[in-house]
Amino acid sequence: MFVYEKKLQYPVRIKNTNPALAKFIITQYGGPDGELGASLRYLSQRYAMPYPELAAVLTDIGTEELGHLEMIGAIVYQLTRNMTPEQIRKAGFDTYFVDHTAGIYPQFASGTPWTAATIAVKGDVITDLSEDMAAEQKARTTYDNILRLSDDPDVNDVIRFLRAREVVHYQRFGEALRLATEKMDQKNVYAVNPAFDK
Amino acid sequence: MEKCDYKNGMLPECAPLALAYTPMQQCSEPAYDGKMALARGTLFPGLDLPFMNMVNKPDNLSTPLCELMVLDFVVQELKLYLDTHADDCEAFKMLQECIRMSNEGRKRYAELYGPITIRDMENAATYDWIDAPWPWQHQSGKGD
Repeated sequence: MFVYEKKLQYPVRIKNTNPALAKFIITQYGGPDGELGASLRYLSQRYAMPYPELAAVLTDIGTEELGHLEMIGAIVYQLTRNMTPEQIRKAGFDTYFVDHTAGIYPQFASGTPWTAATIAVKGDVITDLSEDMAAEQKARTTYDNILRLSDDPDVNDVIRFLRAREVVHYQRFGEALRLATEKMDQKNVYAVNPAFDK
Repeated sequence: MEKCDYKNGMLPECAPLALAYTPMQQCSEPAYDGKMALARGTLFPGLDLPFMNMVNKPDNLSTPLCELMVLDFVVQELKLYLDTHADDCEAFKMLQECIRMSNEGRKRYAELYGPITIRDMENAATYDWIDAPWPWQHQSGKGD
């Protein structure tokens, strides 16, 4: 069960309207390596995780990702607050605006709606944790790319925070994989899948 | 066995082929102070690996709401650390201390500025859970 806290994990305080930035930052809301996918990936993988401490890792990181989803939503909301039709046209935000006005919709930067095809739940301990490590790196790269493209210090401040979280999560998933494989057959960790073969 | 420094971790001397290995973080020390941790996005200097070496400064994290974010962030970092280091008694004690401070801080904040969770409404005079600003709205004042 989840309980809402009426605060962000890290402050989002953007002074200037800038739909041109919102146009690509939306990809971390509902894009292929965004925060919606991150939270659903980890929170969905939990059920097939046979080791309780690793179910904790998936639960705790998955829950934090929901907080990051909210932060990205806050960035896009504040970047598109009070924008004029003139600003929308000039920024090339018209293709988003015509479908969603100033609402926040989970989509790729390219406009493709969020899809579960971008996440994996394989039901295998080593496979799922390897997927999670790759996912953290893909999100980290996307944040690197956003930092390359954005010139707004208020936005970059938040993006740097979110990027740092990917590195920490990568470490924790790496440690989780260590803990998992230490419990398996030390002569052949691939002998069985402990999530299925009892 | 000699310990590595805080930027490195231990790997087994011999390890099975065909398996990825991440070094375990050795210890919850050194750690940043809370405000620096929130600014950097991690409590642990060993995990602080910024893009193009550009980092946030903690100067803008002094509002009452930010002080609460700081405490809750340290709780989050210690929680994730303890998930994979459950036997670290020092880190567990630090977690409990931070939880205590966060609970007190949240109570104080809720009295002055409004609830963070519905449980903060226990002694409220009116049903101000519904009041703006919601977290994404950011307005000056209101303690954020």
